[in-house]
Amino acid sequence: MGLKAYVADIWDAVVTTAKGMRITASYGVNPKEEVTQQYPEERREPSERFRGFLHNDIKACTACTMCIKVCPVDCIALESVRGADKKMVLVSYDINIARCMYCGLCVEACPTKSLKHTSGYERASVNRGELILHFVEEDGNEIKARVARQVAAAAAKAAEAAKAAEAAKAEAEKSAGVPSSGTKAASPTPAGSPAPGNPGAVKAADVPKPAGAAATKEPETKG
Amino acid sequence: METLAISLVKAVPVLSAVPLWTMTLFVMVAVAVVVLAFALTFEGVGSYMLRKVAGDIQARIGPNRVGPYGILQFLADGVKLILKEDIIPAKADRFLFKLAPYFVFVGSFAAFVVVPFGVGLIASDLNIGVYYVMAITSLVVIGVMLAGWASNNKWALLGGMRAAAQIVSYEVPVGMALMPAVLIAGSLSLQDIVRSQSGLFGVFGWNLFHNPFTFFSFLLYFTAAQAETNQTPFDLPEAESELVSGYNVEYSGIRFAMFFMAEFGDMFVVAALATACFLGGWNIPYFNAATLPPLWGNLLSLCVFLGKALAMVLLMMWVRWTLPRLRVDQLMRMAWKYLIPLTFFNLLGVSLWLLLFNGRGIPQMIAAVIGR
Repeated sequence: MGLKAYVADIWDAVVTTAKGMRITASYGVNPKEEVTQQYPEERREPSERFRGFLHNDIKACTACTMCIKVCPVDCIALESVRGADKKMVLVSYDINIARCMYCGLCVEACPTKSLKHTSGYERASVNRGELILHFVEEDGNEIKARVARQVAAAAAKAAEAAKAAEAAKAEAEKSAGVPSSGTKAASPTPAGSPAPGNPGAVKAADVPKPAGAAATKEPETKG
Repeated sequence: METLAISLVKAVPVLSAVPLWTMTLFVMVAVAVVVLAFALTFEGVGSYMLRKVAGDIQARIGPNRVGPYGILQFLADGVKLILKEDIIPAKADRFLFKLAPYFVFVGSFAAFVVVPFGVGLIASDLNIGVYYVMAITSLVVIGVMLAGWASNNKWALLGGMRAAAQIVSYEVPVGMALMPAVLIAGSLSLQDIVRSQSGLFGVFGWNLFHNPFTFFSFLLYFTAAQAETNQTPFDLPEAESELVSGYNVEYSGIRFAMFFMAEFGDMFVVAALATACFLGGWNIPYFNAATLPPLWGNLLSLCVFLGKALAMVLLMMWVRWTLPRLRVDQLMRMAWKYLIPLTFFNLLGVSLWLLLFNGRGIPQMIAAVIGR
């Protein structure tokens, strides 16, 4: 290394240091450069498509279990029973947000758009149980009992209606005065009444998916 | 110390019954406590300052939660460090592991003894002041190496070895860069060096403006001292990104706090030495501190000295948050190929200047020409 390069090296060091210090000083003096946000006091508005915590609008939910089938980490669990009008009634709908990875597949799969991402992102807790979100507030057993009662009532009503129809038919036959014993019209199976005692409750719980999706609950005993 | 004790006895006649050596011992302890209190306070304020400056420079805010503007953050940190568990690794050399922080802290704190805070404010005006500082701060390297060795950890050991290589290398340019001030004052005592810079409105008498060589000497001292105290562009001993935390990686709690405090103590000592040797020390602009009434003279000179020293600390922090870390080979090259030859020629230049111009600096010559 020649003397010229040596001196140039020193000069370089001094000049570049001075340049760097000028830049850092300008950052240090200018308060406008500060980018820190005082988080708990000031919050940033999440963007429109921000994928925060999931929220299920249970009034719109049809318990179709599409979200469960599509979830890659199995964080959704629901339980439902078939109601009096043949629609599924949710008994419980839980999302484990500790496990959720916010991929959004369930939201895309939801046919009724009842499952949505919210803008929420703050849920620190000291207890893992608090990270499981329950969307059905009512007690599951109460719902089951209520639905069973409704189903039973509907079945009784249907049976009554069928009996009434049968009676009406018999009367009509009588009034016709032609006893046709061979006809099948007097068959006691009424069309249109639901098979009582088989509401077909589906449970899809936090178990391996195919089994969970296929698992069918034992029909409730009707009183 | 003994003179102080004698004057104390003279001021308060009741104390004459106490033996002199007891009084001297008492005065010694009192002075040590005061200096220690100052050192600890500076370490607290310095850490707050460092973090605030870092925040400003990096477009952040820095500590702002504990107390107004986060000013009490250092107290919170201190309490936290005291409450933390003091862990000694199972395979560590227990005796040396415990000993190392004391060496580092003592090496850093003992240098405060000769820091000239004011006209009469100095713990002990040793006639070998500069030499004493150079010698006592070398104790730090022993502590750092001990810490690295006793931790039985490869990062700690590497950090300790690097620290040894670095501090020993940079001690040479630091010493030679301080020599011009010693040459001009004709004394190693820091008070004498500060007194030699009085006059000429208390500003133009500074060694910084004495001649071009002293000006460069100041810059060289500042660079080399930054390296000697392991400040960031030269913080290879603790290099977070390579060595996790270097020699103090296995330390926790109050023992870690001692390393931490020693670092800030070193920072202040370097700033104080730069102030005393090149920036006129406690000389008050326009007034002559030595002729003022003792109370006002001491108070004002203390303020001036602290102001200058803190400005130097700020400058160190500014450099610290500006430059990236050097590589080991670059660090060694800088010491042996650049700083040592430059400080050597600088020293030669100052000696020649003093010989040719009979010890007078440029401001003195200008003053003589203007006619006074």
